[in-house]
Amino acid sequence: MNKNIILYTFILIFGLAAPFVFPAFKVQLSILCVLIVLAITWNIQGGEMGYNTFGNILFYGLGMYLCASVQVGMFFPLAEWTESGGEKTFVHTPAQFFQGFGVGLAVAAVVPAIVAGLIGYSILGLRGHYFAICTLGLGVAAGEISGGIEIIGAGQGFTTPPFPKVGSLEARGEFFYFCSFIVLVLTFIAVKSIYSTRFKLVLNAIRDNEDKAEAMGIQTMKYKIIGWMISAFFCGLAGGIMGGLVGYIDSTDVAFDGREMGVFMVLMAILGGKGTLWGPVIGATIFHIFKEGFWTFFLGWQYVALGVLIVVIVIYFPEGIMGWLREKYPEKFGEVIDDADRKAQVELK
Amino acid sequence: MKIKNIIITFVSAIAILFSTSVVSFAKVVGDKIILGAAVSLTGKYSSNGVHTQNGYNMAVERINSMGGVKVGGKTYKFDIIYYDDESNPKRAAQLAERLISQDKVEFMLGPYSSGLTKAMAPVTEKYGVPMVEANGASRSLFTKGYKYLFAVLAPANLYLDVAIRTAVELNGGKGVRIAQAFEQDAFSQDVRLGILDAAKDTGSEIIIDDKLPKELNDMAATLAKVKAVKPDVLVVSGHTKGALTAIRQIAEMKVDVPMLAMTHCDAAKLSKQHGKNSQYALCASQWHKTLTYKDKWFKDGMTYDADFTKMFGYAPPYQAAESSAALLVFKDAFERANSFDQKKVRDALAATDMQTFYGNIKFAPGGQNVSKPMVLFQVMCDSAGKCENKVVAPLKWASAELIHPIPKWSER
Repeated sequence: MNKNIILYTFILIFGLAAPFVFPAFKVQLSILCVLIVLAITWNIQGGEMGYNTFGNILFYGLGMYLCASVQVGMFFPLAEWTESGGEKTFVHTPAQFFQGFGVGLAVAAVVPAIVAGLIGYSILGLRGHYFAICTLGLGVAAGEISGGIEIIGAGQGFTTPPFPKVGSLEARGEFFYFCSFIVLVLTFIAVKSIYSTRFKLVLNAIRDNEDKAEAMGIQTMKYKIIGWMISAFFCGLAGGIMGGLVGYIDSTDVAFDGREMGVFMVLMAILGGKGTLWGPVIGATIFHIFKEGFWTFFLGWQYVALGVLIVVIVIYFPEGIMGWLREKYPEKFGEVIDDADRKAQVELK
Repeated sequence: MKIKNIIITFVSAIAILFSTSVVSFAKVVGDKIILGAAVSLTGKYSSNGVHTQNGYNMAVERINSMGGVKVGGKTYKFDIIYYDDESNPKRAAQLAERLISQDKVEFMLGPYSSGLTKAMAPVTEKYGVPMVEANGASRSLFTKGYKYLFAVLAPANLYLDVAIRTAVELNGGKGVRIAQAFEQDAFSQDVRLGILDAAKDTGSEIIIDDKLPKELNDMAATLAKVKAVKPDVLVVSGHTKGALTAIRQIAEMKVDVPMLAMTHCDAAKLSKQHGKNSQYALCASQWHKTLTYKDKWFKDGMTYDADFTKMFGYAPPYQAAESSAALLVFKDAFERANSFDQKKVRDALAATDMQTFYGNIKFAPGGQNVSKPMVLFQVMCDSAGKCENKVVAPLKWASAELIHPIPKWSER
């Protein structure tokens, strides 16, 4: 237990100091936080509950559009802001910017959660591949639909309010970094605390055998919906922050970016080890570092390099990094193995 | 043991990545002026991204070999750091940040496409990094009050304005019936707004107004409607893929329409790829090799065309020409500013008034180039089936007369 406190304190200090220690990497660090949040939330469905969803990108994109729309709409007419040929330029005062962003984030969290509840009610009855394919359609459909809604910019895209002139040049990067870091910490605490309750056991029961779980008297539907709502809540927050950070929302390339973000969140969780608390965190971190590295050093071949990495992972770490560690050092994961067992294992090899 | 080795390799790879990525460039190193650019080398804009990159490279080589840039009595050479933005705005914004804060670049060249430029402009603006861009034409880029953004090209809403006006003129001044289909992206939607304005002005009617998806490869539904309602003009815009898809399917479905107006014909190498099928297509272009502009680096359009073809093995589309022009603008501004101070260079850029092989360049307060008109060319084929793009408007440069209406497929 003591060890854990030291670990958490260390991570917290590192997180708080990071933008000042690595000032040039602020944007990458902010994106890392967002990626970790997405991986953690995906893991609730894909890892703990056994429902492989590609639909979480829906909540991310929804959050992004909602946050930006609220931030603009609170102070200016939204239609005029997004109208492409608009000759008018609107400028947020610092107070308007931060108020708008705060309210926007709240909306970006709550609405996707409600949407998740509604959609979940209708499609969480599907299982296995059927559920995966259905959710795949959600993201694609949302991208196409949002690309046709004029008030949020349609195909023109949506330029989010520029950061007001406060503080130094670094203020924008620091602001978005701390927003994303705070969301990451909140997500981690929330997920960690629900994983320590009966809730997680129910999710695992659904994963292992849903029919049996139902037969035991568990209202699986209720838990599945609540689980998805929790994911959507934090995905929406992550999306809202990412929208402000990127500064420009495009329906299929930035918001409902199923091809990249939608796939990455699955990949990161699997890389780290799905069904564990730390797996998605480790997976996202390693994935992000490699991705950035490939982009710098294998220009034009970055996706090939990324593909090779994925192949290596699948072959050597099929259970993810956490799964591999667990097999290697079971005692660290609370599994008791005495010396005789260990010896026997070694000799077997 | 094997796995241990792999982990060691992984960890050391990460360590190497970190240690080398800290190596930073500065704006001016020794005798080099380093410019940053994120272009689309992969993804849906990859072909145009490469045109952009080739245009930049060609100009860098030319300027360097002709004596470079003279600032403060010293001669400097251009160098460009490239990144691949994967045709993704999110990536482009991230790379702009990275070029500025990690690579310490102080001057930027634009990416390909309006959407990506829209994503990068807020970042360059924040840091006060002058960006000369050659491939972001969306009007909304120039109404945001950006002070450090300069575009050497005419805004997107002017692309096909001339086509509609010509059609109306040929119709005896009466309004025409327009069918249009545009990709869901910033540039094409802006072209659409230009058509709406032109239609309103000329009393024309829009009878089909379709949206095409990104990554488009099918527009049969629109064409079926066109076949049914027989409009006077069909307008299609959707970057390279839009042009290719339109020509392919119009030929397949034998759609007869008196005027077909498009964008990106030369970037798509239409006349080469589709030969006679692309005949009579009317295309908006920022530049054509037969225009009579001149400068001292590339001489004129014809020479540029020949040199470019020699260097890269294909004829330069306007995307390459305008990208080369961006470098000329930077060189000119550096020399007039006689300094590498970003503010001074920005002011020098704003005061640009020059002629290049690509056209006259003078920036409006919004940053767009106002002194260069668009040209329209038509794909024309000889009896042997060899097709060429010939300028038909404006009349000053016209090398052929517009063929209107387009003959029916049954008569070709």
